[in-house]
Amino acid sequence: MTSGWPVIDPLHAWNIATAMVVAAGCGLVGSLLVVRRMSLLGDAISHAVLPGIVLAVIAGGRPGGGLVMLGAVAAAVLTAWLTAGLTAGAGVAEDAGTGVAFTTLFALGVVLVSAFASRVDLDASCVLYGELELAAFDTVSVAGWEVPRGFMIGGLVLVGVVVAMAVTWKEQVFAAFDPAAARAAGVPVAMLSLGLLAATAVTTVAGFGVAGAVLVVALLVVPAATAELLVDRLHRLAILAAVIGMLAAAIGYLAAWRLNTSAAGMIAVVLGGGYVLAVLVAPGDGLLARVCSASALRWRVAREDRLASMWREAEGTAGGGSAGPLAWLATRALTIEGAVERSAGRWRLTAAGRSRAETIVRSHRLWEAWLGRNVELPLDHLHPPAEWVEHHIGRGVRERLAAEVGEQAGDPHGRAIPPESARHRAGDG
Amino acid sequence: MTDSAGSGDAAAGPVVEFHDVTVAYSGRPVLWNVDLVITGPAVFGIVGPNGAGKSTLLKAALGLVPLAGGSIRFDGAPLAAVRHLVGYVPQRETVDWGFPVSVMDVVLMGTYGRVGWFRRPGHREREWSAECLRRVGLADLAGRQIGRLSGGQQQRVFLARALAQRARIYLLDEPMAGVDAGSQEMIFGVLDGLRAEGRLIIVVHHDLRSAASWFDGVALIDMRLVAAGPTASVLTPKNLRRTYAGQPTVLEELSRAVATGGRTP
Repeated sequence: MTSGWPVIDPLHAWNIATAMVVAAGCGLVGSLLVVRRMSLLGDAISHAVLPGIVLAVIAGGRPGGGLVMLGAVAAAVLTAWLTAGLTAGAGVAEDAGTGVAFTTLFALGVVLVSAFASRVDLDASCVLYGELELAAFDTVSVAGWEVPRGFMIGGLVLVGVVVAMAVTWKEQVFAAFDPAAARAAGVPVAMLSLGLLAATAVTTVAGFGVAGAVLVVALLVVPAATAELLVDRLHRLAILAAVIGMLAAAIGYLAAWRLNTSAAGMIAVVLGGGYVLAVLVAPGDGLLARVCSASALRWRVAREDRLASMWREAEGTAGGGSAGPLAWLATRALTIEGAVERSAGRWRLTAAGRSRAETIVRSHRLWEAWLGRNVELPLDHLHPPAEWVEHHIGRGVRERLAAEVGEQAGDPHGRAIPPESARHRAGDG
Repeated sequence: MTDSAGSGDAAAGPVVEFHDVTVAYSGRPVLWNVDLVITGPAVFGIVGPNGAGKSTLLKAALGLVPLAGGSIRFDGAPLAAVRHLVGYVPQRETVDWGFPVSVMDVVLMGTYGRVGWFRRPGHREREWSAECLRRVGLADLAGRQIGRLSGGQQQRVFLARALAQRARIYLLDEPMAGVDAGSQEMIFGVLDGLRAEGRLIIVVHHDLRSAASWFDGVALIDMRLVAAGPTASVLTPKNLRRTYAGQPTVLEELSRAVATGGRTP
């Protein structure tokens, strides 16, 4: 089984293909569940369909056949209906209602599987944990080709999901975003929810063969939750979720094969790892982006502080340079930028550096002047807020502050406010 | 297709009629026997204290909550027959603004009723939606994700979506809640424009002071209709005292009794 890394024999290729089509379908349906904040219902349904499947098999249905799908959809609808009934009718909190409904139904399924184990063609461990490794052995004949049953079912479900979502897409989005306005506009929101419920049930059943009842929710929810971190349009989210699901299926399968462990478990682990990665690298709100922008700000502040302190030194209102490694680095960087030069053993501002420094000091003193005028603060309380705010005041705000406090006034400490530098005035549009 | 606000009865203004409307939430009445006819063109306010049933009245009109009794008609017809002529702006907090759609996506939703099933909004709908965004002053933000807007901008996006629907009658639920003064000014300006085009705008509103200056007509509601008519004649100290009594009314007691089936809790 584990011989030869680059060579993938056809059986493994079929297993991977099966996992990929199933993951794609789950990712698409899951994207709607996740943006509707219904991830937990997805979890509930993936468990609660079990008794429906078992009863359908007892009634003569084949695993993955039409009767079984029907049984699963019926069980899913029953779950949603029971949850709603418990919540609205009996006054139970929604999470508790969901919890009661789906665990009870799942347990009923487990009991049925065990009780009828001898009579039905349904293996409890296969249903609970999936047997992706064996998917390629159970084949059906399609136009002379031997195709794994799981791949056929997954493929048909995927095609059905894609067609259904494409046809009802704009209504689904409207109903998911603003159900009240959608209903008022005549969109059959309840029917669409029922459709989503049925799609969840059917993709879940297709997913049992790959991941089993316990882990299929990972295929349903995690790719969409990951995609949600990375893009901010629903159609991109859905497509990305399908792609993430397919990638994780392939990578997880291959990793499990190499490490000789459970494919379903490894696929779910890969999905979880992908989610953590997305949390780190997500644009805007991701940890990495936040760390980067915080560092960039610190670096800018260090250089601006250095410029302002040198300017004040030349003005004679502050003595001594800043110490510390960051200030040292900032000085070197400013030299390279051409804002600072060394002459006769001393650091001096160049013309460009002076202009930049004046902008910062101007922001600082304008803010002090404005605070002194509008907020009752003792004189020695004005400097710290200005020291921080000076780095965030743009030209527009400076102009408004200057208009309010007046250019000639000077700051509350009696120092002159430097004029808006030529560089900035030239930029006037 | 032409603007349907002008179709048919150019002479008659838009009308909403509430006939003896009673609404109950799971067995407990929250609105009793509201009998009210609102004729346009006008900007009409529905004003009352918290929990008075103002929003419920709008939701009942839109079929979002069932009527326990009575009927509601738009231009003499039931809602199902004239749904696309009735525009709705829900309360801003009722939706998840982190939802992955752009400003333009949301405004386009207003055109879905005319576009119909199985078709996507085309070039014409996009142009018209962009025009609606211009009217609420958000033309520059069409591509932005809706979560990155201020509260006032979000409310204006909702208004633009309603404009995109080209309705004849607009129902707005608390459009001024949590909205900055500039946006309020702009929203009322847009509503004035709609009235000038002959439409009827009904606004659920909580602020009495601005009500006096913005609305042509007002209905005061506190679980029942207290008074309705031209703003100046309705917002009298006597009517306001009756609306904002601040103590449990006999109606609340009765509602509780109905909800518990006569058993005293």
